[in-house]
Amino acid sequence: MGRQLSFVVALWKTNLLSAMEYRVSFLTQVIGMMLNNAIYFVFWIIFFARFEEINGWDLVDMLFLFGVVATGFGAGTYLFGNSVRLSSLIANGQMDYYLSLPRPVLLHALASRSNASSAGDFTYGLFSFGAAIYFSGSFGGLMLLRFTLGCLASIVVLISFLVLVQSLTFWIGNTSLLTRHAFNAIVTFSLYPITLFDGTAKLFLFTLVPAAFIGALPAEFVRRFDLLQLAQICAGGAVFLVLAVFVFYRGLRRYESGSAIQVRM
Amino acid sequence: MRSKEAGALTGEGRVREHSSAAVAGKYWAVFRTQLLNSLAYPIDLLGRSLLIVLFMWIFMNLWRVTYGAVGASSIAGLTLADTMWYLMMAEAVMLSKHDLSETFSEQVKDGSVAYLLNKPFNFILYHFASGLGDSLLAFGGNLLIGSAVVWLMVGPPPGIAGWIFAGAAVVLSWLLDFCFSALIGLSAFVVEETNAFRWIYQKFLLLLGGVLIPLDFFPAWLQTISLNLPFAWIIYGPARLFVEPSLARLGHVFLQQCIWLAVVGGIVWVIYRRVVARLVINGG
Repeated sequence: MGRQLSFVVALWKTNLLSAMEYRVSFLTQVIGMMLNNAIYFVFWIIFFARFEEINGWDLVDMLFLFGVVATGFGAGTYLFGNSVRLSSLIANGQMDYYLSLPRPVLLHALASRSNASSAGDFTYGLFSFGAAIYFSGSFGGLMLLRFTLGCLASIVVLISFLVLVQSLTFWIGNTSLLTRHAFNAIVTFSLYPITLFDGTAKLFLFTLVPAAFIGALPAEFVRRFDLLQLAQICAGGAVFLVLAVFVFYRGLRRYESGSAIQVRM
Repeated sequence: MRSKEAGALTGEGRVREHSSAAVAGKYWAVFRTQLLNSLAYPIDLLGRSLLIVLFMWIFMNLWRVTYGAVGASSIAGLTLADTMWYLMMAEAVMLSKHDLSETFSEQVKDGSVAYLLNKPFNFILYHFASGLGDSLLAFGGNLLIGSAVVWLMVGPPPGIAGWIFAGAAVVLSWLLDFCFSALIGLSAFVVEETNAFRWIYQKFLLLLGGVLIPLDFFPAWLQTISLNLPFAWIIYGPARLFVEPSLARLGHVFLQQCIWLAVVGGIVWVIYRRVVARLVINGG
């Protein structure tokens, strides 16, 4: 376990050093993504300025939600950058490289790349959480702990979901369209108040597209401690993680090498 | 009328000039090729349009709850049905517009722009004709699926005039959006990274263009600002025309679109001529 952890940390360090070779490009993407998220959030400012609250959710709830989702999404897709392009790695036979090395294939493949723009999402999420604390007027060490836990759960479910969907490439070939729709669905749904949706829709958001585990549930948990919510978050993370790893390795048995000569620099 | 840029080298090495009809025919051929190319994959085309179902479902939940909370049958003159049909048209335009800025900047960065610049067509017009072919089919798919979903949710769409007026305005919307895409893509000649510009432009369209919320719901001061910016005439103009068609509104939308086209198109043209004159290509 310790060896795998130090291996992943080494990969992350390499990715960071690589990004620092193009410092201006990295910073442009980080700042650009922060601005991008901030402009998007203006929609909710305008919305709640006019309608005040919807089914019990107000602007402060949205700040908490954006805080958790952006931090979790940013950290997840930065540290495991290949989670958004796993299907193309499988379809193009580019898993050969990871299979030939004595390291866990999935972990190695996911952590081998970082997205610069995701660092912008992560930073924006922290700002949003800061603003949520300021406007809610409540803060404490326990809230920080809940925020960390909520973001970790968000990362686990998001990455597991992306792996799960893209692992279907092993069986059905090209899943680029499915991946795009699944990605859009999980990100979009996670950024809306869960109180908008009724029973059937909620079931959908906890199972097929588990956006509730990425946004609403951890955001509510960050705001106030609830043992049941903590159990739900942990159970959700564990179930999706186990499922993703199981399906990926099951599919890997069907993997066909691209036999292409690959050069990694 | 003769066009200088339409000149092409003949087999003997002489410059042959074409008529305007021949120039138009050339871009028509590019448009037609792209159209046929997209038509070759109908399942993919319909699959791409499924995204509108997701957005319409979320919007329906959001606005049903909001109208219920306000307790009024209309907000800023729009009923729930009007709002949903407006959002359907706004999303259909947004999802079908072809983002060429990425293609542009990739071609500039990897140097393949060199191969396109020496071809007997204009680099900008070539991309517009090609993008239009793709957008037209994507728009059709989005309208078909989006309309079916919204019809089931809130009842029948607005009258035939709305479809015709909005359809006409959407063509100018694509043209205006294309000018912005070209501007972002051409910035690759100057800056290393253009993604940030693209994201921010898209968010301006979502917010100030009225994709997420009709501009009628904005506070008065923000509505004034939005209506004086070009983004509103790419999305809001056609979508609002769709739910409330009138000749006066159509004239106003066209006028605004033409003004902004002249301004943004003029900037694109000037920048394009400058960067092409300064272009240095190394290697082979």
